[in-house]
Amino acid sequence: MRAERVRVDVMLLSYFLNLGYACAALALTTIGLAIVFGLLGVLNMAHGEFIMLGAYSVVVVQRLGLPALLAIPVAIVVCAVVGWVVERLLVRPLYQRPFDTLLATWGVSILLREGVVALFGKGYQDVTGADGASIDVLGTPYPAFRLAMMLAVALAFAGLAAWYSRSQTGARIRGMVANPLLAKAAGINTTRLACGTFITGVVLAGLAGVLLAPIVRVEPYMGLDYLLNSFFVLVVGGLGSLLGLAVGTFVIGGTQVAVSSFIDQTSGYTAVLILSIYFLWSRPNGLIARR
Amino acid sequence: MASSRAVETSLQVATAAILLSLPLWAGDYSANQVGLLLLYGMATQSVALCWGNSGFLPLGQSLFFGLGAYVSAFVLRSAGAAGGEWQIILLPLAIAVPAALAYAIGFIVFARRIDSGPFFSLITLALCMLAFLLANQWSSVTGGFNGLTDIPDLPMTDRYGNLYYVISAAAVGVTALVTWLNRRPIGTLWAAISENEDRLQFFGFATHKLKAAAFGLSGAIAGLGGALYAPHEGLVGPQAVGVALSAQFVIWAAVGGKRSPLGAQLGAVVIGLLAATWRDLFTYWEVLVALIFIGVVRLFPDGLAGAAAALAQMAGLRVANPIPEKRIDAHDIATIVLRPAQSTLLSFRSVEVSQGGVNILNGLDLEVGAGGVNCFIGPNGAGKTSTFNAMTGRLPVRSGEIHFRGTEISSSQAWQVARLGVGRKFQIPSVFAQLSVNENLQIALWANRIRPREMLTAAPLHWNSLQRVRTLEKFEFLESNMAVRAGDLSQGMRQMLEFAMVAITEPRLLLLDEPCAGLSAHETRHMMDAITSTVGELDASAIVIEHDMSALEKIADNVVVLHQGRSLAVGSLAQIKISEDVKAVYTGGRK
Amino acid sequence: MNRRNILKSIALGAASAAVGVGGLIPASVRAANQPLKLALMAPMSGPAAFFGQACKNCAALAIDEINARGGVLGRSLELLVGDAGAAPSESAQTALRLWKRDKAEVFVGSHDSAVRTALESLFRGQVPYFYTPMYEGGDCANGTFFVGETPAQQLTPVIPWLSAQHQIKRWFLIGNDYIWPRKSNEVAKKAIQGAGATVVGEEYVPFDVDNFDAVLGKIRDSKADAVFITLVGGSAVTFNRSFASFGLSDKMIRFGTMIEENSLIGIGASNARNLYSASGFFSTPTATSAQFLERYHKQFGASAVLSSIGESTYEGILMYDAMARKANSVSIGELTKASNGASYKGPRGVVTMKSRNVTADIFLAKASGARYDIVKTFSQLGSAETCAGGAGAG
Repeated sequence: MRAERVRVDVMLLSYFLNLGYACAALALTTIGLAIVFGLLGVLNMAHGEFIMLGAYSVVVVQRLGLPALLAIPVAIVVCAVVGWVVERLLVRPLYQRPFDTLLATWGVSILLREGVVALFGKGYQDVTGADGASIDVLGTPYPAFRLAMMLAVALAFAGLAAWYSRSQTGARIRGMVANPLLAKAAGINTTRLACGTFITGVVLAGLAGVLLAPIVRVEPYMGLDYLLNSFFVLVVGGLGSLLGLAVGTFVIGGTQVAVSSFIDQTSGYTAVLILSIYFLWSRPNGLIARR
Repeated sequence: MASSRAVETSLQVATAAILLSLPLWAGDYSANQVGLLLLYGMATQSVALCWGNSGFLPLGQSLFFGLGAYVSAFVLRSAGAAGGEWQIILLPLAIAVPAALAYAIGFIVFARRIDSGPFFSLITLALCMLAFLLANQWSSVTGGFNGLTDIPDLPMTDRYGNLYYVISAAAVGVTALVTWLNRRPIGTLWAAISENEDRLQFFGFATHKLKAAAFGLSGAIAGLGGALYAPHEGLVGPQAVGVALSAQFVIWAAVGGKRSPLGAQLGAVVIGLLAATWRDLFTYWEVLVALIFIGVVRLFPDGLAGAAAALAQMAGLRVANPIPEKRIDAHDIATIVLRPAQSTLLSFRSVEVSQGGVNILNGLDLEVGAGGVNCFIGPNGAGKTSTFNAMTGRLPVRSGEIHFRGTEISSSQAWQVARLGVGRKFQIPSVFAQLSVNENLQIALWANRIRPREMLTAAPLHWNSLQRVRTLEKFEFLESNMAVRAGDLSQGMRQMLEFAMVAITEPRLLLLDEPCAGLSAHETRHMMDAITSTVGELDASAIVIEHDMSALEKIADNVVVLHQGRSLAVGSLAQIKISEDVKAVYTGGRK
Repeated sequence: MNRRNILKSIALGAASAAVGVGGLIPASVRAANQPLKLALMAPMSGPAAFFGQACKNCAALAIDEINARGGVLGRSLELLVGDAGAAPSESAQTALRLWKRDKAEVFVGSHDSAVRTALESLFRGQVPYFYTPMYEGGDCANGTFFVGETPAQQLTPVIPWLSAQHQIKRWFLIGNDYIWPRKSNEVAKKAIQGAGATVVGEEYVPFDVDNFDAVLGKIRDSKADAVFITLVGGSAVTFNRSFASFGLSDKMIRFGTMIEENSLIGIGASNARNLYSASGFFSTPTATSAQFLERYHKQFGASAVLSSIGESTYEGILMYDAMARKANSVSIGELTKASNGASYKGPRGVVTMKSRNVTADIFLAKASGARYDIVKTFSQLGSAETCAGGAGAG
């Protein structure tokens, strides 16, 4: 009896740890798109490729033998520069035209992928850092790196939420999103603000890539899965608010982990799709509508 | 100077000639290659039909293409033993099944909500991903990852020979069909939906059914492409319902031109040929393709077809659609038969509306009798426009009842209320900006009158009615600006155009929200005269929201003062002017 | 072209000039001058594009060597390359062009089974088609010759040996959801039962999944001793990394049949402890492959990664050459009749064709860093396939 009870507890614990990781990874890879799509209305099909750029920053830094933490500034710089070019040339004329940005950024995603192929080749890259060191969580061993990542994500989100709701820039962004004309009339430089917001979004995607690189596979086609998942999280949870992002993450991540654990991975994948369709149909504005 | 229709037709004829004769001058291998691209082109055209013409973007169109392919594969394989006739008899299933599915999906999704934002696109994408999963898993039926193989030829055809003629004939047929539909009333209605769906609902059109019909047709066209794909390739695998293929259709539609059926078709063929050629020549051929997408989006939003049209305009070809010369009389409006008209036309009883924690209507009680012009006045935020919104389904009513001609309408949708005979004119003039003045007036004339079958005939394009004649006499600028795009008119003209459209629908109750906003003094007088005479001609009632006292003096038979979501005072203008309550709350101004 | 060929052509040219009209020269003599076009179908774009380059390199190497010794029946080979990384319809279109327009006389393919099915549907046994990578078996389409490993070869003797070596009593099976993993698991289950062990779990995942935590939990809870992995591509890499990060590498053996060197690099040396693979070729030199590997790295770089899938192209072309010599013809009918018993010695050792599949050596290797160390050689294993070798063109 006792042994069974312990086993059930262990299973439950590992289930919750898996849930925590799945939600953290999902939130981490979606925040960039939440900003770019949720706030600016840009359907960024190259979102996954910015994550890829972040992951490859770690590859570069490790190849040069430098400390891995240096990948963070490298990723920020690379994504900011690429993001600035994309915003200036392609996105700026297309704000609030989601279908046109879809096509343009699809082209960007191809260019970024081919660029990485030209520089690094088509094969897989190994990023060290998450090798097997595990921490005992109430009796169950769990990879230390993942715990660190989950903690970092939770702290970063709390910080971002606080900053967005309290800071002046956050208020300006909210104003610009709600009524761009009025914001301009009120003296806010919406062009520069939008550019900055876009760059922030893609830089966050890059940082997600940095954090995930030691855990997932790194190759030029790695970005596509994140893109689709992120879209579903956003449209189910609701665009334009961190709360919506959180809700969407828990719904999608939770379903995937629950069904995968109790049935199998294929059913988990199917359940996510069916759930997304249901929410898209019954609550087209998402569970947490902006208005 | 050629009209755009003549140019479009001649281009299509030329393309048809080239396509149908291709094997004779390009050889069998090219015919096989182009054949496959024409099939993809049909699916591309189906995307363009929804996206460019009706304003919603399906991201999972390969669902219908692949479904048509799988059904066709079944029919050809299973019925093959029974004989060629059975294959031909059952093959239309490959078109009917995707069409029915598309119509059902469109109906269910669009009935929920009127706009066509990303949520519809993502639903179609998710459905496509589910279909791919199903095709992979259900190996006993679909052959799993490797697909259904050994599909026999279409009866009486050879896949490396004359099947091409069947395909090219179908492709030419689809282009012709879509073009023909675009020139019929339903084409104008679809364009109006993509323009301003909200407005179209107020003309009594159940727009969700129109969009579902468009989506159903697109499913049929994609299904036709899939139906011929199965015998052309000899095998059908899950890639035919895959997301990658759906994305290709969207890209080809965008590059070729989403507003032009010919453009979409040629987009698929040309990009497909370029990709196939470059694939073998450059390692980085995908970069070239990406640069083309980016170029198209930045420079040619309507794709290569749009670029060609722009070039033609520069070269002097006018792009005008012909205004019909002959006119025939429209039949009567199909008004819903109600209980006999009562003296009270419209009544609100304790209506409460709130949004975001703010009480907009606080137990509003009012009655509007049949006949005459009633004016609603009150300070900003009193709830005037909100009464219009509440009774036309644009604001949810929390409690209370609204009755119009004896029918309770507080939970009705806008198009249902419009069908009862309510016409609404908006504060900011809301017309179909990209359509011509003539087309705008046509839509108004079709409101509550055109029957579904008539949407496919040319007759409604020539309709005329007594009210239309009268309205054109009132607003002379309309006749001379028939070919002008409504969005190019001045603000004042747009106000008058919108009123004209409402008048032509022959409503029993006109809801006019600040009809003189933005008009000069002269235009204001003109509009006021038009309102009074129209109300008299139609033997209708009107509710006018207005601030201008001099206008009110001219037309108001009855005045209702609203304040903080309730009715403050009711009576003639003279009575209102001396009311102490009103003076305390609101002072009107003279213009 | 070597001197003998040049002299031959001059002689023929003189003869034909003397006779006057080229049409009087018999077709077989004329054909002897024409290069023999060999079409390679490999993924040059898309997610599997990494292998395409290796296949192309191996094809070039094989063709150079064969041409150096006189070509195939006196005709020099010319390489044409088609992209098999596109969807099956597009790949079939490319193959059609290479066949009908560019006049390829033999196809060598290294791509997934969906493309293979499309190509077989296209060729209908009218042109020799060598499918070279490891595959699931059970395909007897006319005109196709298989030189890749079958599950019977990779599993039937290997699983009992591994089970005995490591006292494995409980196996967990995980693979992607399509035909190759499912067929492999059928064979694996029989081998496992034959070795006196049990299967404690069997799961199939879609290609797009990149979070394996749920199934790893199941694996851990099942207390398996070994995991048999038939995941491919990115799934294999992500799964193995996660597996190691949960500390399972030291608790269980991992055994896979398509975890080749490129995936191993992606998995990372520290995550690849106790990982085994069975294949007909590894990039670690053996007595038979050392020279070949030296030549490969000299020409294409010391860091170029070569694995079983890429190298199988080389084997396929050598087999074609061997069959052509045995049949003394390149027509599909003659090749098929002569296929049984055609044999050559190459980097994989002695390879013999039987029932249009091959009997060859299989190596079991253990991961060590970014490479494999061969721990056991199983000699001359039969494919267990029973395709008829005598049927002619369809």
